Amino acid sequence: MTSSWFQDPTLLAAMLGALLPFVSFVLIIVFTRPYPKLSAAISVASISVSVVCAIFLLSSHWHLEQPIQYAGKWLISGEMYIPFGFLLDELSLLMLTIVAVISFLVQVYSLGYMAGDPGFARYYAFQSLFAWAMMTMSIAPTMLQFYIFWELVGLASYLLIGFYYEKFSASEAGKKAFVMTRAGDIAFFLGLLLVLLNFGNLNVLDMNSVDVTARMSPGLITLSALLVFGGVIGKSAQFPLITWLPDAMEGPTPVSALLHSATMVAAGVYMFARIFPFYSKSASAMAVFLAIGTITMLLASTMAIVTRDIKQVWAYSTVSQLGFMVMGLAAGSYFAGVFHLTTHAGFKALLFLCSGVLIHEYETNDMFEIGKHGGRGLKIPMVCMTLAAAALSGIPFLSGYFSKEAIMGALANLHNPIWLVGGLLGAFLTAYYSFRLIFIILFPSKIEEVHHTEHGGHSAGHGHDAHHHAGLYWVMAWPLIILATVTVVLGFFQAPLENFLLGHHGVAEGHGGGHHAWLPWVAVGLAVSGVGLAWLEFGRKGASQVGFVERIEPVRTLFAERWYMDHFYRLFLDYVIYGIFSNLFTRNDRRVIDGGIDGICRATVGGGWVLSFLQSGMLQYNLMVMFAVLALVALYFFF
Amino acid sequence: MEFANFPFLSAILLSCVVGLLVILFIPEDRKMLIKWVSLIFSGLTMVLSIYLFFAYDKSQGGLQFVEKVLWVESMGIYYFNAADGFNLPMLLLTGIVLFTGTLTMWELENRVKEFFALTFLLVAGVFGVFMSMDLFFIFVWYDVSLFPMYPLIAIWGSTRKEYGAMKLTLYLLAGSALILPGIIYLFVNSGLNTFDVVALMQPGTFTPFQQKFAFILLYLGFGILAGVWPFHTWSPVGHVAAPTSVSMIHAGVLMKLGAFGVLRVAIFLCPEGWQYWAQLMAVLATCGIVYGAFVGLAQTDLKYVIGYSSVSHMGIVGLGLATVTVDGLNGAVFQMFAHGVMTALLFSSVGYIYEKTHTKMIPELGGLSRTMPIASGYFILAALAGIGVPCLASFWAELLVFISAFKTYPIRGALAIFALVVGALFMLRVVQRTFYGEKNEKFAHIPDVPFGLGIPRMILVAVIVLFGLFPSVMLDVIQVASIPFISGLP
Amino acid sequence: MNSLYTYLFIAALLFSLGIFGVFQRRSLIGMLIAIELMLNAASINFMAFNRFLAPDPIVGQIYTLFIMGIAAAEAAIALSIIVAVFRRLRSINIERAQELRG
Repeated sequence: MTSSWFQDPTLLAAMLGALLPFVSFVLIIVFTRPYPKLSAAISVASISVSVVCAIFLLSSHWHLEQPIQYAGKWLISGEMYIPFGFLLDELSLLMLTIVAVISFLVQVYSLGYMAGDPGFARYYAFQSLFAWAMMTMSIAPTMLQFYIFWELVGLASYLLIGFYYEKFSASEAGKKAFVMTRAGDIAFFLGLLLVLLNFGNLNVLDMNSVDVTARMSPGLITLSALLVFGGVIGKSAQFPLITWLPDAMEGPTPVSALLHSATMVAAGVYMFARIFPFYSKSASAMAVFLAIGTITMLLASTMAIVTRDIKQVWAYSTVSQLGFMVMGLAAGSYFAGVFHLTTHAGFKALLFLCSGVLIHEYETNDMFEIGKHGGRGLKIPMVCMTLAAAALSGIPFLSGYFSKEAIMGALANLHNPIWLVGGLLGAFLTAYYSFRLIFIILFPSKIEEVHHTEHGGHSAGHGHDAHHHAGLYWVMAWPLIILATVTVVLGFFQAPLENFLLGHHGVAEGHGGGHHAWLPWVAVGLAVSGVGLAWLEFGRKGASQVGFVERIEPVRTLFAERWYMDHFYRLFLDYVIYGIFSNLFTRNDRRVIDGGIDGICRATVGGGWVLSFLQSGMLQYNLMVMFAVLALVALYFFF
Repeated sequence: MEFANFPFLSAILLSCVVGLLVILFIPEDRKMLIKWVSLIFSGLTMVLSIYLFFAYDKSQGGLQFVEKVLWVESMGIYYFNAADGFNLPMLLLTGIVLFTGTLTMWELENRVKEFFALTFLLVAGVFGVFMSMDLFFIFVWYDVSLFPMYPLIAIWGSTRKEYGAMKLTLYLLAGSALILPGIIYLFVNSGLNTFDVVALMQPGTFTPFQQKFAFILLYLGFGILAGVWPFHTWSPVGHVAAPTSVSMIHAGVLMKLGAFGVLRVAIFLCPEGWQYWAQLMAVLATCGIVYGAFVGLAQTDLKYVIGYSSVSHMGIVGLGLATVTVDGLNGAVFQMFAHGVMTALLFSSVGYIYEKTHTKMIPELGGLSRTMPIASGYFILAALAGIGVPCLASFWAELLVFISAFKTYPIRGALAIFALVVGALFMLRVVQRTFYGEKNEKFAHIPDVPFGLGIPRMILVAVIVLFGLFPSVMLDVIQVASIPFISGLP
Repeated sequence: MNSLYTYLFIAALLFSLGIFGVFQRRSLIGMLIAIELMLNAASINFMAFNRFLAPDPIVGQIYTLFIMGIAAAEAAIALSIIVAVFRRLRSINIERAQELRG
């Protein structure tokens, strides 16, 4: 870092934006924990600065010629030089903006949602921690720095999922999230090591360049690509590490909105996009990724069809959409995947935040309950949620429509039609389960007493009078409105975004292949039929409120039990890890090693006991020995 | 070599010894006075070691702050202290752990005088080993540090203290029974009639066979102290039995003494032996890493958990040493430092909990986070550091070791990396069972850590975070020693 | 018959009887008597060597007188020890004196 870093506005903006939340985190944890309002203020202030910096950076570099890199020394060991710095190119700036904006909106929203919670200050500390980690990760210039902040993001996730730590299920969920993502991260790390040792450095731009093929054999590239993708599987909850994400809904809803829909889990997809050229060099790896993405998408959609919990629906949906993004990227279309990531961040966060309002009001996650208690009465959340669900389903002219079409287009360009079929099937299921939820709440079979929150005697921590309530309500409502606007409008920015992202470098992308005119019609048709089916089963008057899947009990159980994946993990953990290894090694320690040592001790003591018989205490024996020795010595000397 | 103007290193030793003597003269019932005296002298050692760490001239390298005085001419024994890139982190570590350990035992009431006197004796021995460059003195200081452990654990300890104290002392004596022949073998075969490490280090002093033979003796002897698998079982038992600050010193510093001994004596003097035995070292180290993680999973006593995690982490040190590379060496020394601080923090936190709740058994604890958030926070941070979360000191150490291990021994390296998952699992499980969950009614009345008692823990946290964010502060010092050493290998 | 070897043989015989007695007798007094026997055997040796090899100053016989004096003193001491032991153990059976047993 040169001494002129103050004068470079870009660098200043990057540093302030990325690092200020860390300052906020430290301040809150060390000093202001007893003062909740002050802590929240510090956190929101720092994230606002970050938003301003991010938007500044994005707008001032809209016509970026070359990526800008800053690097300073972090660690030198032998010949290994590990820098700390920032890489500002189109993708990272876009991601930075997404993260900053959504973090900001969620933090503002939390002012209302988390009001009165005893851990208010701690919540904001962790939010700042997350923001710092995620933003620095987005603009990391080397994969090692990326990995480091990726892990820190995982840490923030652990802390936030287990936020209500007095609930056993919450701390279990946090632990599960950490351990499962750790498992994925091990593969990630091994892959990075392979690249480091064979290629020489982990700089993102270098990895994306053609030099890699020169120095690494194709087999090695495939192997390291597969390993590094392990990180994506872990962080973005792809198959087979799906199940931590639905459990992560134990955290407060704004956390689910921020981390587990829009940003943190998207980090996996972001990583895929970040080193997209590197991955593209191995066609077989890309094929594997495509398969994983498709399986994930379909599996998660099936799980979403049968669940009663609002947050679970959106959680499964997130997993499914992430799989969809992976499909888009793996099919070769860099832009499609990233575009969907952007739009998805918007409407998924919106979906969660709206659900949060409903959960906050009715204190239940169950959609049937909410519907029964008159959930439809909350206008702003319901309108926003319907909009967002429509975007998710790919209803025309909302942002989701454009991004999903882009991915479908990429899939259609592949040789094998099976992927496109998978994608279309997924689209159908997505529309179905989204509107299942909407209709259950909008058109419940019967409405019980309208459950408003004007009455006192609320649960501890949520007590607020009507006036206060209105203020908090608007604090929660404004972010919803902003996100809804984005959802509606963002789709129309597809062309400029595409130019921005793909602009000047020939990033490998499969766009421009045959424009399949029939594709949008088919996709929209499927989406509409999904909505229609949901309407038939849940929406219209006198509907049965039972889905077509739920009628088939074994299938329903299969989906509801998450295809028994959790059972498998539990069994594996209990029998293999605990039962075999842990048990074996512990017994080895106690019986074999310690037994050996104690045995030696006992033998020594025993030997002493045996030898002690020589000490009979009898004077005459001693004299005899003395005499014998003397005689022998005399013999020796005289003969 | 640069001779010192002011004998800083001896000053550190002297602070311990003078502290010991002053305490001996204070009457037993003036407990507060004893504690303050201990604090002052331990603070002095910490300040001196911090000063040395930063005053070391990195551009020049080599041995600095040298003090060399002929002690016994007929046997070539020199009183030879020096600071180089390898022992400066260790001196810093010892100073910090001693100071924070003294503060942690502030509430001790039973036989205060003997406790602090013995502690100073112990630490004098430890400092001596770290700073000495003469084999004879290394061995003498090593044994000096060994003996006070027995009464410290047997008198002030807890679970199975007599057994733990006896086992620890005997085991470590067995280790020194392996070291002494090794040292004497080297002394006799060098033909130089000197115990001076620098003189003995010169290439060509020993034949390859002599080096291999001596190395394995010294490695096993020091390795027992370092917790090398399978000679590690004294460590968890000893940790559990010892009182808090003794555990901190034991796990934080004493085990590093063993690893450092391997470095300073075995590796420095027998480099060819090192390269010959490196494969075995790597195997044992990997076993230790994986084994420690799995056995830690099954434990129900908090201190046993930490004990086995220590075994696992010392395995990482061993693995780094086994790679015979600059990165591995850097990582190993860094890990010695980082783990020492981290484990000191773990034991410090557990000590507070044990003192207040009188139990270390995880099934009996639980739900402590609501009652004492600050104490829980310290433990959780230390546990996270143990798992290898980035931006905390041990991440960098593990990173360097894993990179070099993967390069040299891919399979063993991969196994060690897998053990990270198991480590995360058991640490988080412990955190969950002990701290999270419903507020525990039995312990609801216990006060949280007051500011004064929190100071040692805050210092440790600050050190962990500082070196996590700015690892080059530590690494630059270590590098100055490791790079010339490796490049000078035959 | 009257040669050196006769007397040496007698002295050796006496000495071995004495050694045997020290090892075999159960009572302390018996051991004491055997020790006296050994002393006397040594005296005979002295006198025999003196008479047959270097007769001029009769050193051997003078040594024998010395030995008798010393034996008397030693017997006094030994007996007082035996009396002290008896007071402790109420017996002069040496098998009772095994407190140094390991």
